[in-house]
Amino acid sequence: MAALNYVGSRRGKLLFAGGVYLGLIALTAAFLFPLLWIIGLSLKTRLQVFANPPLFLWWPTWENYGAVFQRADFVQAFMNSLLVSSGAVSLSLLVGVPAAYAFARFPFFGRNFLFFGLLAMRMLPPIAVLVPMYVLFSKIGLTTTRSSVILAYSTFSLPLVVWIMRGFFEDLPRELEESAWVDGASRYQTFFYVVLPLIRPGLVAASILCLQLAWNDFLFSAVLTNNATRTLPVLMAAFSGGDTGVDWGGMTASGVLVILPVIIFSFLAQRHLVAGLSSGAVKG
Amino acid sequence: MGGVTTTAGLATAAPPRTARARLPGRWLDRYFIAFAVTPTTLLMLCVFGLPLLFSGFLSFQGWAPELGLFDGKFVGTANYEDLLTDPDFLGSIHLTLIYTASTVAAELVVGLGIALLLNIDLPYIAIFRTLLIVPMMITPVVAAFCWKLLLDPDHGVINYWIGEHIVWLGRPGTALFAVALVSVWQNAPYVSILLLAGLRSLPHEPVEAARIDGASVWQMFWHITLPLLRPYVVVALLLRTIFEFRAFDNIYVLTSGGPANATMTLSQFTYLASFVRFDLSLGAAASWLMLLMSMLLCLVFMTTVRRRDAN
Repeated sequence: MAALNYVGSRRGKLLFAGGVYLGLIALTAAFLFPLLWIIGLSLKTRLQVFANPPLFLWWPTWENYGAVFQRADFVQAFMNSLLVSSGAVSLSLLVGVPAAYAFARFPFFGRNFLFFGLLAMRMLPPIAVLVPMYVLFSKIGLTTTRSSVILAYSTFSLPLVVWIMRGFFEDLPRELEESAWVDGASRYQTFFYVVLPLIRPGLVAASILCLQLAWNDFLFSAVLTNNATRTLPVLMAAFSGGDTGVDWGGMTASGVLVILPVIIFSFLAQRHLVAGLSSGAVKG
Repeated sequence: MGGVTTTAGLATAAPPRTARARLPGRWLDRYFIAFAVTPTTLLMLCVFGLPLLFSGFLSFQGWAPELGLFDGKFVGTANYEDLLTDPDFLGSIHLTLIYTASTVAAELVVGLGIALLLNIDLPYIAIFRTLLIVPMMITPVVAAFCWKLLLDPDHGVINYWIGEHIVWLGRPGTALFAVALVSVWQNAPYVSILLLAGLRSLPHEPVEAARIDGASVWQMFWHITLPLLRPYVVVALLLRTIFEFRAFDNIYVLTSGGPANATMTLSQFTYLASFVRFDLSLGAAASWLMLLMSMLLCLVFMTTVRRRDAN
């Protein structure tokens, strides 16, 4: 809005708009090219992948995707990823949302300390938590289980949930709860029947962001899982470890299948996502 | 808090019959905050507090995976001394700082550029916003893997365009560049979203006034928009510094720290020490040094921001 006013005449405005569109198209092309090229590779046969010069036009084949779905390890890892990330999101929502409400509404003993702890949890490097976590978990027999990964994921998803939800609770007018209390509702009834339904957008935003982080995590699950419980990013890293080999079609097809759910999901909830991202980060 | 107590008082003063019927509820009400906060506190202790304390303990021990939790031998500061005299570790501190500074700077410049373009009010601009944030959603491991294929010396499309046979990940300089490039590609869109939110919230009047006074586009940007945007730039800078400091996924997939330690960041170093060589007490010491460094980074940021805001 403001920028258009920088330029005066009508001709100038048209030129300016054209320049902006050209710039944006070039930027978008540059940013999307790697992804498009990878999707392209996943739709090529082995011969086409290694064609020299590279093929820019060809008749797409779906055989790579069929082969990926035939792979037992891929299907297993997909299920693991699904289980682990939904488990992590549920745990963090269950534990974190009431705490976020308490943070937004009531002063209590140790409030600042707890808040500082959550901040530190989000900000400090995960590898620092992972080293002792691995030792402790291995001594109680929790390593290589999916539960250990779910617990480990709460180091980033819990602070995120509390952070985002606190913002949403604070934006809610207090009067609604006060009138519920006056009408004789208990704190619990107020929370479950008055407050929670009103902050559903916040819950959506928090769960999407957590789900994305959990789905994308590599470090925790690389250390805490074995071949049976590993998640998709770990499997992908195993594919690409060392030499890239010759099955580029298969590898790119599985890569596309790993990122597809997150991208679709984020598009469906883009409005919430942007709100959550900026509220989580910008609101102090 | 005053409002809360009065309403609670009002409710207790309700007619006797309802009061008795709700008595257990009122008793529970007093502990509402405790019920709300305790699970979070416990979970934090389990996955964060206790592990960190334990790793502090571990870092002063000579511990091996086959020993019991507390059976290690006390070795004083030997682990720390080993690290701080190890040229590889010192090199990785140096490298992490270079990597962090250059990726964050590049992300901020590119992100600000994108944000400024997206802030212009033209039809269909929302489509570009949607498309430009796609890289940010991609699983980092997959993103790094995509680039590994693009940069492949024999069959990669980038070498085909350049027309030269460059082994991108095999030479120290280009390997570091490639690793940083993947991160900038993924995270510049994130910075642009943060800054776009900032640009949207800025008042229009100062720019309008400057335009009437005949300021040039560059002057308006440099002397009005950018200073107003400063709080958002600082937030983006802080967040990106914290997240680049811990960089791991892209490096692990592309180079695993090589060639010749050229991409051996602190996370990568700690990972190799702990989970490849299984020297977990050394890993604990390295991770505590990393913790201290990131705390120091945060502290420096907070104080500079405070001081500049106070002026």
